[in-house]
Amino acid sequence: MDHHLASDSPQVRPRWRKVAYGGMQPGFDDNHTDESFLEGMVMNANVVRRDMLKVMLDSVSISEYLCIVALVVLVWTYTLESTIDENRLLCIDVSLLVLGFLILLFTQEKISLSILVHHYFLNISFFIMGLYVLAPIYQTLTRSISSDSIWALTVSLLVIHLFLHDYSESTVNAPGALKNPALTSCISVNASVVASVFIASRLPSRLHVFAIMLFSLQVFLFGPLVTYCIKKYSFRLHLCFSISLMVVTLSFVYMLHCLLFVLLLSLLVFVNVVCPYWLIRIQEYKFEINGPWDEAKLCFAITD
Amino acid sequence: MDRKKYRIMMVSDFFYPNFGGVENHIYYLSQCLLKLGHKVVVVTHAYGNRSGVRYMTGGLKVYYVPWRPFVMQNSFPTLFPSLPIIRTILIRERITIVHGHQAFSTLCHEALMHSRTMGYRVVFTDHSLYGFSDAGSIHMNKVLQFTLADVSQAICVLHTSKENTVLRSGLPPEKVFVIPNAVDTAMFKPAVVQPSRSEIVIVVISRLVYRKGADLLVEVIPDVCRLHPNVRFIVGGDGPKRVWLEEMREKHSLQDRVEMLGAVPHAQVRSVLISGHIFLNSSLTEAFCIAILEAASCGLLTVSTRVGGVPEVLPDDMIILAEPDPGDMVLAIERAISMLPKVDPQVMHHRMRELYNWHDVAKRTEIVYDRTLKCPNQNLLVRVSRYLYCGVWAGKLFFVVMIVDFLFWRLLELWQPAEDIEEMPDLTLPHISNKETLQKTE
Repeated sequence: MDHHLASDSPQVRPRWRKVAYGGMQPGFDDNHTDESFLEGMVMNANVVRRDMLKVMLDSVSISEYLCIVALVVLVWTYTLESTIDENRLLCIDVSLLVLGFLILLFTQEKISLSILVHHYFLNISFFIMGLYVLAPIYQTLTRSISSDSIWALTVSLLVIHLFLHDYSESTVNAPGALKNPALTSCISVNASVVASVFIASRLPSRLHVFAIMLFSLQVFLFGPLVTYCIKKYSFRLHLCFSISLMVVTLSFVYMLHCLLFVLLLSLLVFVNVVCPYWLIRIQEYKFEINGPWDEAKLCFAITD
Repeated sequence: MDRKKYRIMMVSDFFYPNFGGVENHIYYLSQCLLKLGHKVVVVTHAYGNRSGVRYMTGGLKVYYVPWRPFVMQNSFPTLFPSLPIIRTILIRERITIVHGHQAFSTLCHEALMHSRTMGYRVVFTDHSLYGFSDAGSIHMNKVLQFTLADVSQAICVLHTSKENTVLRSGLPPEKVFVIPNAVDTAMFKPAVVQPSRSEIVIVVISRLVYRKGADLLVEVIPDVCRLHPNVRFIVGGDGPKRVWLEEMREKHSLQDRVEMLGAVPHAQVRSVLISGHIFLNSSLTEAFCIAILEAASCGLLTVSTRVGGVPEVLPDDMIILAEPDPGDMVLAIERAISMLPKVDPQVMHHRMRELYNWHDVAKRTEIVYDRTLKCPNQNLLVRVSRYLYCGVWAGKLFFVVMIVDFLFWRLLELWQPAEDIEEMPDLTLPHISNKETLQKTE
């Protein structure tokens, strides 16, 4: 088994082998580059070829969430200006809650009425009671802070919330989901809750505070779950819902302020049209290299 | 054949008193080069109180530059302030070739950069494999591109490592030599009296971390113990995953069949290895596994995962490869157990002596040094313009860095002229019987 014997005829040198043992291979220098060099390299193995229409349709969920947040800010603005009083706000809360439950019931085939009552209804009533009891704390929380700081903080927190939000799935999962939420989605939920608390603390009465907190938390915590259920149930329904939501939001914002309307419209166009085109353009530059030097991936789950 | 004798400076953050692949490589290579008649000086950072100049076996001079390591044994990257001390050492020892080791070492990159500014010939050896996709690797590869833009030759320890280095740094493949590590076969001899084959002992010595496949061990050991009642395991090494292995032992009641030794000091590795028949390596990534060579030198049959450069390291009758999957590894261990009667440890040890030899490595490195000195030394502008190809923004940044380094060097030449630096006379130790060395040192 001696591989280093030179062959009998001096003209034919032994083949170069990709091995490290045995010293210098006879007839070859140490810097010999064989034809099999970089044979094991695989390029762009995991890159997905994207289609423009599909990317645009996927970006609709982002603009849908942007519109939801815009509507929440609208309601906040109207409440702070006292255009909406607390009773109307409470009516909005209750109708939103009922609507959300109906959609969940309608779209989740696995959920029967009994599970709904036991799992969701009980928890939500505890939640509402807790909010009502804690409302006085929120009311006096930021009394010593100036309004300018509050508006600035709220805007920054909302921007962080939009930036770090998990647009692919909801953080409040339907029962039976195993996936743990990522760190960034936890940060985004916290940012939205803190922004709601800041706004709530600027309102005059306890009932105002309770109503606005209930509204904000309903939308931020359960809104993603509802939209996720709609999307999973039927893509067409999701598309109709999103487009109608966008139209409604744009019309309300137009009634509020013209400049904000222009800003929102341009943002929606940027997200829906410009970004997909840009993504597809720069995909050509993608160069992913894999080869035998990569760390092996374990095919079984590691319980840590 | 009157070969030219070189004066080599090995530079790296990783050296004795640390133990590891790079450290051993530098030490053994320096010793063999000293025996061939060259002069070798090692430059590294201070380890605790060990600072200043020390002499090791064979007259190997080591400069422990008084910088503290700051993360993972690397000295703090200072860029320009390291120029004066590197220049002083280079002039004092009359160095002709600078040889840097390990892409992860900041001292190596800085020393190579300054050596190139001052016009010395430079060789770089890479000892690891890196990926391309995470943020740390991207930065590391850019730094490597900078260092290797102007290097004369590069050495990699395996062919897989050569492919990886060429892709990362953009060097032409003809400039990269493949010279593997070797193992000190005199230290790793098989046992005089072989352990009995009635009970088969499988040895595992590695750090118990994710990268070294400790999770695979947790899956494989119970299956093998169940299928083969006469198999015993010895697990040496410590790490975060040790808890999982202990848990696995408790869960399957394998306390008498799996022995956990904890951290094994390097001096006792041989005594652990010779108590076994099979060596199991389950790493998920491995640039060059010296542990496998040590085990083969002690006469153990090796079972390993097919990752990185491991397929190139041993011939097929001394190693059995498996995919990093528990089922496949159990099958490979079964094949190893069936092959065991045909294996003779002494024969394996003698084969290892032929296959891997540090003197051979030193001779091949000498050829690289010859090639390095034949390269024409271009003028400053040609050399520095090579850095512009490193990238649209990075290229210009590197260009500016090198120009500033050059100006700093010129300033130092005026401020601390080279004539003022005392040159070190060569020490001739009495046991060096090489007549050429005695004649040439004056």
